[in-house]
Amino acid sequence: MTHRAYQILTIVAAALLVGLTGCAEDQQQAPVGSDNSGRSASNARQQRVDQLEIVFPYGSEKKMWVNAVTEQFNRDQRKTSGGKVIHVKAIAMGSGETVTEIMEGRLEAHLMSPASAAFIRLGNAESQAKFGNDLVDRTTELVLSPVVIAMWKPMAEAIGWGERPVGWSDILELVRNEEGWGAYGYPQWGQFKFGHTHPEYSNSGLISLFAEVYAATGKKGGLTIADVEAAETGAFLREIEQSVVHYGSSTGFFGRRLFGSGPTYLSAAVLYENMVIESYDRAKYPDLPFPVVAIYPKEGTFWSDHPVGIVNRDWVTAEHREAAQVYIDYLLEPAQQQAAVQFGFRPADLTVAVGAPIDLAHGVDPDEPKTTLEVPPVDVMHAINQLWHDNKKRANVVLVLDTSGSMKGERLAAAKRGARELVNMLSDEDQLSLLQFSNLLNWIVKEAPLEGNRPKFERSIDSLIAQGGTSLYDAIEAAHRYISENPTPDRISAVVVLTDGKDENSNLAIEQLMQRVRFDGEAGSIRVFTIGYGSGASKDILTRIADETQAKFHAGDPENIREVFKGISTFF
Amino acid sequence: MTDYSSESRKSGAAGKLVFVFLILIVCAVGYLGYTMMGGQGSGGGQIGTTPGTGSGTPDEQANAGRTTTGAQPDPRTAAEAVEINIAYGTEKKLWLNWAVGEFEKTEAGQRIKVNLHGRGSVEGAREVINGPGDIPFHVWSPASSAYRDVFETDWAVRHGSDEPIIRAENLALSPMIFVMWKERYEGYRTKYDPPNFQNIAEAMHEAGGWSAIAGKADWGLFKFGHTHPGKSNSGLMTLVLMAYDFHDKERNLSLGDITSTDFQQWLQRFERAVARPGGELSHSTGSLMKEMVLRGPSQFDVLMVYENLAIDYLKAAQGRWGELYVVYPERNLWNENPYYILDVPWSEEKHRLAAAEFLDFLMSDRIQARALEHGFRPGNPLVPINGPDSPFVRYADYGLKIDIPRVCDPPRAEVLNNLLASFQRIDR
Repeated sequence: MTHRAYQILTIVAAALLVGLTGCAEDQQQAPVGSDNSGRSASNARQQRVDQLEIVFPYGSEKKMWVNAVTEQFNRDQRKTSGGKVIHVKAIAMGSGETVTEIMEGRLEAHLMSPASAAFIRLGNAESQAKFGNDLVDRTTELVLSPVVIAMWKPMAEAIGWGERPVGWSDILELVRNEEGWGAYGYPQWGQFKFGHTHPEYSNSGLISLFAEVYAATGKKGGLTIADVEAAETGAFLREIEQSVVHYGSSTGFFGRRLFGSGPTYLSAAVLYENMVIESYDRAKYPDLPFPVVAIYPKEGTFWSDHPVGIVNRDWVTAEHREAAQVYIDYLLEPAQQQAAVQFGFRPADLTVAVGAPIDLAHGVDPDEPKTTLEVPPVDVMHAINQLWHDNKKRANVVLVLDTSGSMKGERLAAAKRGARELVNMLSDEDQLSLLQFSNLLNWIVKEAPLEGNRPKFERSIDSLIAQGGTSLYDAIEAAHRYISENPTPDRISAVVVLTDGKDENSNLAIEQLMQRVRFDGEAGSIRVFTIGYGSGASKDILTRIADETQAKFHAGDPENIREVFKGISTFF
Repeated sequence: MTDYSSESRKSGAAGKLVFVFLILIVCAVGYLGYTMMGGQGSGGGQIGTTPGTGSGTPDEQANAGRTTTGAQPDPRTAAEAVEINIAYGTEKKLWLNWAVGEFEKTEAGQRIKVNLHGRGSVEGAREVINGPGDIPFHVWSPASSAYRDVFETDWAVRHGSDEPIIRAENLALSPMIFVMWKERYEGYRTKYDPPNFQNIAEAMHEAGGWSAIAGKADWGLFKFGHTHPGKSNSGLMTLVLMAYDFHDKERNLSLGDITSTDFQQWLQRFERAVARPGGELSHSTGSLMKEMVLRGPSQFDVLMVYENLAIDYLKAAQGRWGELYVVYPERNLWNENPYYILDVPWSEEKHRLAAAEFLDFLMSDRIQARALEHGFRPGNPLVPINGPDSPFVRYADYGLKIDIPRVCDPPRAEVLNNLLASFQRIDR
């Protein structure tokens, strides 16, 4: 080799050496799943190091919008100033539950967005009392939706909607009328049936109470504890609450039930305007018997303003704050705000117009609401909550527990803990019966009030022993028949059944059971809440029983069973 | 035969040196080229211009930063870079944010990084007095000079020195106005015309609300709003105008005027009826105006805010709910939006020089002309306000006027402090 060639070769080798060094660095950051399988684990570790997750609990009424825009945000891989890719873990939760979980440190959220500022105020007050600082410092609105009374259009027209302003006083008149809808020329619709969510778990439930109290007092602002504690206020609230079919923790669930089950289930419910718009989605609700319209109560209503704010806790670092702000800025960009309009929300960005589907063709009026009510101070909110507890519709619950042989050991022990949770959550004036079943049925307690009997219930639950087969259908039928034969029309009547297996020993077949328990609007308004405990339970059958009795199926296991019972208790 | 041996030895050694030198050059060029082609891990996205994220009003948080997804080179050199923090009233937000963006395109803007932090005027003053805090402010730009006397007095008490402001310039002027939804204004005039503090007090106390005023029961109660006087200048100016109005004067508002029993009773009755839809008064005039337009007449029928805010929101309101209408109170106050360069312990000369450069930029014709577009009366007297493109001409049908006939004197510090104290007693 000539000297010259040697020089050239060395130069080329040097350049190659530099190039190869760079490529090696690139390879270390190649995506997971590349051909370099030996480096996949280190790639994955590198990716996790380069990613920053922020946890975002939010009110479930905006679930469809949040899911869509968050999916896009995570795909976009926006970064912090430190170069970390921001990943948002969005969790749909009840507003009250969000505050509780963060306050108790069980949910390390970095930002939150309940349905309204009322829960921010409540959360901040609680945080100030406990820790001396606010839970959330500053907030900004993401989207807005007024709280409305959603009603089937012909029913709304029957009480004057479309001709004059209507509101809570018209609802009260309906409730008081013993003929029900018959007094308005529609006896086929039966009694007026109403619904709103549980005020301790759900914003729309809390707003319903505020609105009822304002309507009772005739005020629109400056509500005092004295107003709340006046006898007329309690009487007004009690009358309206008697027409409630059940409570619940999710406004979304209520809306879906209203639209999916028709006027025999509910005449009206307190929902958000965006949910009324959702009912016009023919893909989701192909068989609505009538359109649904939004009543903006003449006495005034509230805006659900979906505030978002960064959580003020130790686990939220400066980097989390930065990432959270990037995500908030993204949600407020015109593209995402425009998307919110398509989901029925009024955008917080004033440059984005309020157009279809927020229009009369979708049952709502963009020129409404005409007037709003003032959010009460925190001490008045607490007084209103207490007023509701004193005047809410009471419950008559039959708890049906599977004590077959397969429930032995920790399974039954955990189920007992869950059942005690239900005993704990029910009010003193509620009634509870306890029916255990294996291949045999055994009534332990029948229709006893909770007041004075809680220890007895707990002892009865604790004394249960697992053995024998499974007569699930017979047990459900017996519980249902007991309530039918001993009706309590002024109470929410429900069966709560927990089973870990399939029916093996009943005399009844499933179709016979369904015939006997199926919801029929007037005579058969007994809801059967089912808990499929573990993988052996027949989820399909239990879901069918719950759906066809206008209740809800829950999947339970020893770890979550207390939460499951707590969730069911929010219906009462 | 030529003897090349010694020459060839010499040339061989030199050649080797050259060769080694070339190798080094190639390696250096290769590495430099690799780096410039944007290799991995070079830093990721940059977040926008305002640090201290998490401070400021919710609107500032939403709008202050600009977010990118790719790496961008920073042209400023470390040796020359200086950052200044400005506490400013939110009524100037849209104009100032735009101005900062324009400043960044200039040579000075390459050296000077301007960080804007929205603060209610009174809130901003307190942060400076109690400073430096998390954000050391070098400039304070409240909505008006009314609070300057209080600020300097409180500064002297706290820090001993009595001149925390070394340069003051009025950026842009705006008087106070009542802004109403036009439909509601027409209804209001059927009983009370023109709107003033006295008849607004009556309207707020009408038991039948709009039913008694204009026969419109579904409009609910009559709702008037203003900001919190303890946090925001416009709220404080509202109280000052109420006091001047009550005593039928434009000069020499005295301590006696504020503490008079009649005025105190009237003020209490008025303030207890002011709308607090979220349970408390807003701390920010900009946010309050936005709330009016976002939620429509259901939330507020009328606000007292700065003229420029109403102008800024005319179009948005029309798109959302309908037309707004502006009514000038009988007596008024100028809000000059002063720019105060601070001489405070945490401010060095480089900060003060930078603040002065940015001030000169804000006072330039082009930037001042844009202030006019946002509804301000420019501080630069060379920029006219009565041209055909001026919003004061274009939007005359919305009640806008150029002349403000009766302007009151800003009151003394002790008068302002007592007015605030009166409000705080009522607001408990």
